[in-house]
Parts: sequence; structure tokens; C-alpha cells
Amino acid sequence: MEDRLYTIKYEDAGESHLDVKRAGVCEEQCTTYDCISVCPADVWRTEGDAAIPSIAYENCLECGSCRWACTYDNVIWEYPETGAGVSYKFG
Amino acid sequence: MTETPNYDDSFDAIVVGGGLAGSSAAITLAQRGYDPIVIERGDTPGAKNVFGGVMYTPTIRDLVDIDDAPKERYVAQKAYSLLSEEGDETRLTMQPHDWREPPHNDSWMVLRRDFDEWFAQQAVEAGATLITDTTVTDLIVEGGQIVGVETDRPDGDLRAPAVVLAEGANSLVSEAAGLKEPDARDDVAVSVKEVRTYDRETIEERFNLDGEAGAAYHYFGDGACGDTVGGGFLYTNKRTIALGVVYRIADANDDETGPEAVLNRFKSHPAVAPLIEGGRMVEYAAHAVPEGGPDAVPDLVHDGAVIAGDAASLVLNSGLHLEGTNMATESGHLAGRAIADALDQGRTDAAALQPYADALAESYVMENLEEYGWAMEAAADEREFVFDDLPRAVASASAEYFRVDRVPKADHLKAAKQRILHATGGYTGAIRKAWKFRKMFY
Repeated sequence: MEDRLYTIKYEDAGESHLDVKRAGVCEEQCTTYDCISVCPADVWRTEGDAAIPSIAYENCLECGSCRWACTYDNVIWEYPETGAGVSYKFG
Repeated sequence: MTETPNYDDSFDAIVVGGGLAGSSAAITLAQRGYDPIVIERGDTPGAKNVFGGVMYTPTIRDLVDIDDAPKERYVAQKAYSLLSEEGDETRLTMQPHDWREPPHNDSWMVLRRDFDEWFAQQAVEAGATLITDTTVTDLIVEGGQIVGVETDRPDGDLRAPAVVLAEGANSLVSEAAGLKEPDARDDVAVSVKEVRTYDRETIEERFNLDGEAGAAYHYFGDGACGDTVGGGFLYTNKRTIALGVVYRIADANDDETGPEAVLNRFKSHPAVAPLIEGGRMVEYAAHAVPEGGPDAVPDLVHDGAVIAGDAASLVLNSGLHLEGTNMATESGHLAGRAIADALDQGRTDAAALQPYADALAESYVMENLEEYGWAMEAAADEREFVFDDLPRAVASASAEYFRVDRVPKADHLKAAKQRILHATGGYTGAIRKAWKFRKMFY
């Protein structure tokens, strides 16, 4: 995956455009972690025993898949501001 | 930071998004003498855009001179392959002479960054204004009428009589303003793709191409996209090959069906691996694809705004037809035309903009969506047959039919038929399936 992500040009927005709406949903209700399964860029990750996925927003390809994948509608997904984020050279 | 000048009401229309739908709308408006402003969140139009890629150009060619457009190769060959997980490939290749003649069936491999940047520039040359690195965050609504947009620029509100929402598959602005429901999970696919570089000669030798001729290959079956509803694709550019997989987000639910795993499996299939051997990956990309068919198309017209392109779910995936770029440009063009007509009358309420929806409904865009929109659902319903049993049965029947031994051909034919019939569930099953998939072929 690192090889793939190295091919992409990003501009760091400095803050995450992704988040979870309610931490309790990930902690208490979610068992499938579809956000992690669907993400093509390993943005959503499990670290240790943490019940809430960590979010490496800097890798985000802005496909939006996690918005739909989460069956609890618990993903906050915004556009990175002022042109930041991924910038494709081929597309 | 310099103070942002106040542009309120100095534009006739605000176009949200500098992709194909947005630029088509802007070109159409500018050609009619109006002043549109296109607001693009990337550092250039195309910077946030991803597609397979074939650009279908009938509308674009009507709007502008595309001779100088940054195109890669025209589609000279098209192939459909059924892949089984075991490594079988059954393939149908087309290479009509007509496609070699201009305008090459209006089907070109392009790179979106180059093409969208060029297309947006055509809008600017026609008189449109383009601003980049700027994200529209919300709509301004007064008394039920959309009168402008909020952006992430300081004092970045902008007012105009009409707004074209051409913001793409992630239509956050339309959704936040309540103009459309978020797409249903089952109606959205995820696509991952890589672009690899090769010598021009390698591509031309490997795919039997010359000059500007190119190849567009589509792959179906479990060998293409594993245990998911979707398929794989491969397109040749001048010096690059783009390949990837696209399948329903609902199916991407474990390590086996994660996008990277599915892409790697596709790349390693014996039918695909030799075609992409060597080379160097120069870009990895991902995008969402709305493919809910006609039922997923939202209300297109609102007081002061219209929705076009991917944001309006105007993507056709019938299995055989994988189209979106033509539908985006057509919808943007029709939106621009309706807004210009409405502005001529000095009003932009929903009734005045309704001709956009009417024209789209009468165009091939909605006709095709209505006609073929059932296909994904039918394939999902019959996933085991379409993606697993059929590719294997067809390969096995071919192997049987063409088997060289001392048994008469008639016996091989009979045995081959049995293998297909077995996969379809006997004669009744075959008839039922033929009926179900009948629309795909006419």
C-alpha cells in the first residue's frame, strides 16, 4: 500500500476532513468496521484494542466510500478546504 | 491575505465544480452571452477527478473544437472477457473498421487532469470565469429560492440568479441543502485504479495497435472482481495503461474484498498479468461511482438551481455499456441551455428551469438509464450465476466444444450444451435467465 500512496500528490490541509459523528457508535454498536474494509488508502485503521478507528486523513483519496460503507451513518466526511488534499496528475 | 472583492450579482450563474458537467454548462451559458463563474475545489479542474477512462465526446464535439483536446488514443478495439477464478478467459473482441475513421465513434481514452483542465479552459475562452482552490460549502437560500453559494474563502459568499450543482459523486452541497437524499449504499460503487507507464512500442506491440488506435477491455466474473458485484477494466493510453476494478461498496466488507486485495487479484489473473507485465505504477486513484439507475436520479430542478452529472447519478452501467462522461456533458449542456432560456425571461424559479429536466428526460441520457438501469440489479440478483457459474461454464463448454480427440464434433457440441444448461439450471432456468437479461442485447 505504501508504494501506491507514494505515487499520489497531497497537500496537507492541516486538519482532518474526516471524523466519526458519535464515538459511542463505534465503541458499542459497530462490530464490522466497514470503514476499514472499504477504504482503498488505509485511512481508517485499527490500532491496538482501540474501539474507534484512527484516521490517517493525510492519505485520503477523497473517494467518499467510507460515507456509504458505514452502516451506522457515523462518518463525518467533508471536502478538504481551499484545494487541499489529493491532487491527481492523471485521473 | 488580500481582501476578496465583492462579486455579488456580477455573474449570471454559479457553476459548482469544474468537471465535465460544470464546464459544459459554463460553455453553453457563455456561448449564449451570459457570464457564468465556475468554482473548482481542486488546484485545477480535473485535479480531483478520476474515471476509467473513456471520454465519450458527441456533445463536447458539438460545443467546441476538440481537435486540439488532449486525447490519448481512440477506442479501436473493444473486448469483453469473462474470467473465472481458476484462470479461464472467454473473450469477445470487436474492431469495426468504422471506429478507425474520424470521429472514431466519439470514444477516446483520455487523462482527466489534462482533459478537464483543457475543457474548462474552453469555457474561459468562451467568456466564463474560473476560480480554483475554492470549495463551495453551502447554498444561500432566501424565501425558498437559492440565490448563491457560500465558499471557504474569506467573505466568500457569492450571489447569482442560478446555480448549477455539478459537484460530482460526493454531492455534499446538494445533500446538505436538502436537494437530494444521500445515495443508498447499494447504489454506489467504489473504483480503484492504477496508471502504469510503458514504452509506446510496448503498448502498441502488446495490444496490436498502431498510430492513435487504442484498446478498451472490460472484464467480468469472479476472476475479475472476486466475490463482489462488479468488474475490471483496462485502457491503453499513449504511454500508459490504466487498469482497475469497480464494484459495489456494500460488497467491500472484509479483507478479501477490500479494494486493494481485489485489484491485486485482478492484476494477477492469467488473462491480465501478461498485458501489464513490467511498467511502473505512476498513480493510484480511487473514486465513488453512482450507479443506482433511473430510480436514484434526484429531483433535478429547484428554485434557483439544477443538479447535473454524477451529482444527479447520471451514470449508466448496463454491464455492456459503461458510460458517464457523455451523460455528464449532455446534462451540463442542457442545464446551461435551460438556464440561459430562463435568464432570457428574467426568472430562475423551478418552473422556469423545468425545461432542463424535460429536455434531459427526452434525451438519450434518461432514455438509456430507463432502458438499461435494471441491469445492475438483475446481475446482483443472480450474482452467483453471472459472476461465478457462467464464466466457468462458458470456458468449460468452449474447452469441450473445441476439444481435439477422436470423438465426433456432434458429441462434443452436445456435451458443451449440457455444461451451459447445467450452469443455467436446465432449460427452464435458461429461459428464465434469458428473459431476465433480454434487454441487455437490444
